[in-house]
Parts: sequence; structure tokens; C-alpha cells
Amino acid sequence: MSPSPVRALVAANLRRHSRDKVGLFFMVVMPFVTILFVGMALGGSGSGQDRIPIGVVARDSDPVATAVLRQLETSHDLAIERMDAEEQVRSGVRTGVLAAGLLIPPGSTDLELVMTQTNGSGMAARGMIDVAVGKVAAVLEAVRAAEAAGASPAEAEALVRKAQASSARVAVSTSGAAESSTPRGFAYTAPANVLLFTFVNSMAVAAALAESRRLGMIRRSLAGPVRERSVLLGEVLSRLIIAIVQACLIMVVSTLMFDVSWGDPLGVAAVVGSFCLVSTGAAVLVGSLVRSPSQAPAIGPPLGIVLGMLGGCLWPREVAGETLNMIGYLVPHGWGMDALITLTKPGKGLGSVLTEVAVLLGMAVLLLGISLVVFRRRMRTSN
Amino acid sequence: MTATLSCTGLSKRYGDILAVQDVGFFIEKGEAYGLLGPNGAGKTTAISMLVGLLQPDTGSVQVCGHDLAADPLAAKAKIGYVPQEIALYPDLTGRENLRFFGRLYGLPRRELAKRIDEVLDFVGLSDRADGKIDTYSGGMKRRINIGAALLHRPEVLILDEPTVGVDPQSRKAILDGVEQLVADGMSLLYTSHYMEEVERVCKRVGIIDHGKVIAEGTRKELVSTLGSADRVELVLDGDLDVATDKLRAVEGVTEAVRAGTSSIRLIVNEGSHLLPTLIAAVRGIAVVTAVEVIEPDLEAAFLHLTGNKLRD
Repeated sequence: MSPSPVRALVAANLRRHSRDKVGLFFMVVMPFVTILFVGMALGGSGSGQDRIPIGVVARDSDPVATAVLRQLETSHDLAIERMDAEEQVRSGVRTGVLAAGLLIPPGSTDLELVMTQTNGSGMAARGMIDVAVGKVAAVLEAVRAAEAAGASPAEAEALVRKAQASSARVAVSTSGAAESSTPRGFAYTAPANVLLFTFVNSMAVAAALAESRRLGMIRRSLAGPVRERSVLLGEVLSRLIIAIVQACLIMVVSTLMFDVSWGDPLGVAAVVGSFCLVSTGAAVLVGSLVRSPSQAPAIGPPLGIVLGMLGGCLWPREVAGETLNMIGYLVPHGWGMDALITLTKPGKGLGSVLTEVAVLLGMAVLLLGISLVVFRRRMRTSN
Repeated sequence: MTATLSCTGLSKRYGDILAVQDVGFFIEKGEAYGLLGPNGAGKTTAISMLVGLLQPDTGSVQVCGHDLAADPLAAKAKIGYVPQEIALYPDLTGRENLRFFGRLYGLPRRELAKRIDEVLDFVGLSDRADGKIDTYSGGMKRRINIGAALLHRPEVLILDEPTVGVDPQSRKAILDGVEQLVADGMSLLYTSHYMEEVERVCKRVGIIDHGKVIAEGTRKELVSTLGSADRVELVLDGDLDVATDKLRAVEGVTEAVRAGTSSIRLIVNEGSHLLPTLIAAVRGIAVVTAVEVIEPDLEAAFLHLTGNKLRD
């Protein structure tokens, strides 16, 4: 196959895409706006390993407050920030700077938890605060019980400390939770938006394929010394390059701007590469099926957003419920998200995501196969 | 002399409709051949088969000795195809569009740059080469459309209605250019609705109607099919439909068709002698306000052969 026609088609398509100002906005600006704002709402961390920020208003002289604070500070997952006023805490929670807040009134055991987020970091903060408060409450109850049994306050405290020391030997280990936990902040929104925007923008450029058909460019190309498969390859390759450029752009910029860690490069390349093939297949299919160029943007991007929702690109799938999670596995985004999140965890590499990559490649083969059959038929019938 | 382009027995059927039926003709090197036919006659279907865009049900096409079916790439490389619909990327410049087509035909980078400049000069658009196509006028688009087909120096240029919708200045530029190409030795297949263009550019003409080539020859040969017939145009005021029927019934009238809202065009034997009879035939139905007897031409031959005006 002569490379000239393929190169000619790719060069013309890429040049045309580079002149589409609206398309460039959605490719170059929109993904980062989304990553920034959604990432901040989800906790604003790039690695997914940062501590969850919690604001606390309490007096140092208050024994309950001291005990709760001491308990919270033992947690390696929490970053405790002491604040002077309730409004500071509420404002921090409202703006997303804090995952949650805790107000401890002096001399009272009636604590107030401040939170607005029902996402991963908010729920995690609440869980850890519950545990800490529960432990302090347990100690207070134990001291009261010892005193009721006739012990002096000093004896009661010694007994409780002894009980605590022995209970500390009882270790509760959690399995699976760490592996399945969803990263927070940019660590979540960056991979989510790689998949979302790669797919959505691939679907948007499907319009250009329909436009080439409408303009008669494909027909005229075939009147030259060009094989049908060269035209097919040129058109497919153009869309694949756009998908890869989109994915790479988001990954590079989010690494530099938001300090996102992606994990094993080989694994990431395999996942993102196979997802780009899926997006290309979908784009060529839509571009071949629609009758006019205006139909492609009306169908493609909304479809991309719906698939992104189902696949966990717009919000963590853990908040979506079991049924939606199951449906998410019917779309490529679900498999892509699982794979990219897995790769962010320590010690994970290509071997850990082989199933996801295989499923994505299977979807790509299926979509590309169908799209090429439809596209070829369109080329012939448009003659 | 060997034919640059020849076709024999070309047929194409769409369901019950036989769009092209046993079409065959040849074009010699440096010859301009015109294909005339009314809308729906099968011209575009025939051209689609000649450039390899459509598989014929029967028949074959030879281009410079290459069989189009057996060796399509070699055959297509010798053809320059100018489609009726302008096929250009509107958001690319004229130069970028030409570069695209040059690459499609595999022209090396340096040669391509040189050819683009030559072609832009030929079509008279060097000064607008770096403007986007969507800023061009209809005539300029047509000229670039032709230029795209010339980049690879084809042996035969196939032009399908190349002057549709262009201003007189661009039409003149296109026809001058086409004549220059033929003078330089390029073979040409030209289809047009404009009889005068075909008469001006083409040495031989094939008339296609209902999918068949019904006559072929030089202008002189085709006009001679009229015998001693003349073309007469009557301008009338009255019931033209009834008048047309009356005129058709006059002995010596071989064709009578309405031409516009106030004229009837006729093919008659011995036109000048028959005039009084014609005027008498429509008396009481319409008033003849003007009469013109035209020397037999290609349009008269076309009317005679097909029974239709070319632009019907």
C-alpha cells in the first residue's frame, strides 16, 4: 500500500482539525477546567495518598476536646487544622478546602460534625471522626464505670489505661478495602477526564468524517490512484491520532499542573492506547452512520457523556450503587477507569490490568470492525 | 493513432432502470470529445464508470493501454477527473487543497511545490493561493477544482459540467484554459449543458439519451443528419401549447418544442420557404411577433436526434 494517500488524508484531516476553534477549545481548555473544578470538589489531591483535611474548633483546656484531638491526630490519614471560629470551619467545608469539620463545645460531649460532601473524602473523614469520637466516648464510659464500681478517679484511669493497653493488642486488619478504595481529588478526575474527553472529542471529530463524505472528498480521492483501504486507513488513523493527542495532552498537563501520579507507564500506555482505539472505532462508526455532519455532534458527545457517567468518569462509581456499577462494565469507560485507578496503587503494573486491557481491545476490534464495514458500504453507495 | 481513453459495451442497471446501455466511444491523444445529453441521460453514470468510481455491469474501459478493471491504479493515474460538484476542503487554502491532491497522486515533495505554483498560475489564482476556499467565489472554486485534476499531468482530463454556476469571466478563463490544454496535447472528455462550450472546445461529440449513445461524430457530421433542415424560432403571443401542436402537424416540420414562455423552436425542411405556412397554421391561436431562421447547428442536431432541448 502506498503511504502517500494515507499521509495526504491524515495531514489534511489534522490540519482541518487544528483550524476548528471550537474543537480546540474542547480539546485543550475544557478538560483542564473540568479536572480543576471537579478535582477540587473531590479533595484536590494529585497522588490520592494525601491526608484528608479536617477543621476543628475546640478549647485546649477542655478534657473531652483534648482527648478527641489526641485521638484524631493518631490517624495518619487525617490532617487536623485547628481553627478559632465555627464560621471558618463552615466556610472551609463549603468551599471544599476541608473535607469535614468538627465543633467541640466547651464542657460538652455534644459534638457537631460539619460536612457537605457526600463523596469519597467527605465520607472517609466522617468515618474516621466517628471512630475517634467513639474511642474517646468508650474511655469516658469506662472511667465512669470504674468510678461507679468504687474506684477512685486515679485508680479508674489506671484501670482504663490497662484495658486500653490490652485492647491495643487486638489488631483488626482490613483486606481489600485499601485496594478497592478510590483515589481522591485530581488523582481521580485526571484519569476520569482522560477517558471522558478522549471519547467525547473523538465523537465530536466524527462530524469531520461525515463532512468529508458530504463534500465529495472521499469519492474524489477514490477517483485517483488510491486503494479503498488506503482511504479507510487514512481516515481511521486521523481519528486515532486525535484521540492519542487528546489523551497525552491531559496526562502530561495534569502531571505537571496537578501533580497527578499515573503509575506504571507501560500499563498506562496499554490502557490508554486501547481506549483510544475504542474511541476511534466509535468515532468512525458514528461518522459513517450519520447522514449529515450536523448529526454527529448532536449524537456523539452526548453519548460520550452518558457512557462516561456509567463508567465512573463523572463521579466515583462507589457512590453510584451496585446496579449502575454493573452497567458500567458494559461500557469501555468502566474498564478504563478500573485499570487506571489500579495502576495508581503501589506495586501495580501492566500485569494487574491485563483483563481490562483485553476487554478494551476486544471492544476496539468489534467497534472498528463494524465501523469499517459501514464506512466501506457508505463509500460505495455514495458513488 | 491509439486511443487515450476508450470504452466498449458499458452498461449499468439500478433495479429496473437501465441507466447506461452499451455505451462505447474512444478519444484519441490530443482530441477533445464532448458528451452531450439532457439531464438523466446517463452522462454522470457513464463518467463514474470511466473514472473507476462505479463498477459497470458489463463492458470495459481502457486508459492509455491499461484496463481499468484489471489495473485500476495505473489507469486512474493517467486520468484527471473534475467532478460536477466542487470537491474541495473549504477550511483549507487553495494551495493546501492542491497539496492534498498532489500527495494523493504520490507527487514527490519538490515536484509538488513546483507543480502547485504552475497550476495556480494556469488557473489564474496565484494571488489567492493562500486564501481559504470558503472565501473564494464560485468561479474561483471551479478553477481550483480543475487545477486539482491537473497536478499530476494526466493524459486525459475528464470534465463533468465544469462551468456550472460560474460568472462569465470565470467561464471564459476556464474555456481558454481547456483549449490551451488540448492544444498542448491533452485528451479531453467534456460534458456540459452549454452547447456553445462543446461546439467551441470539442472536435467530436457523442449524443447520449436514455443511457445510449444515439449519435456520434464531428459537429459537421452531426449537423448533416438534419439534411436540408433549418432551425426556426417563432416568438408568439397566444396559446403556445395549442400552437405547438398545430405546428408539429405541418408538413415539413420535423420537430416543434416550446422554448421559454413565448417561443416555439422548430426543425423544418426549407425553413425560409415554409414560413408563410407556419404563420398561417397558428392564425387564430397565436400572433407571431418575431421570426428567426437559424442556420443548422449542433443544438438543432441535438433537438432533431433527441426530441428535447439540451437543458430540458
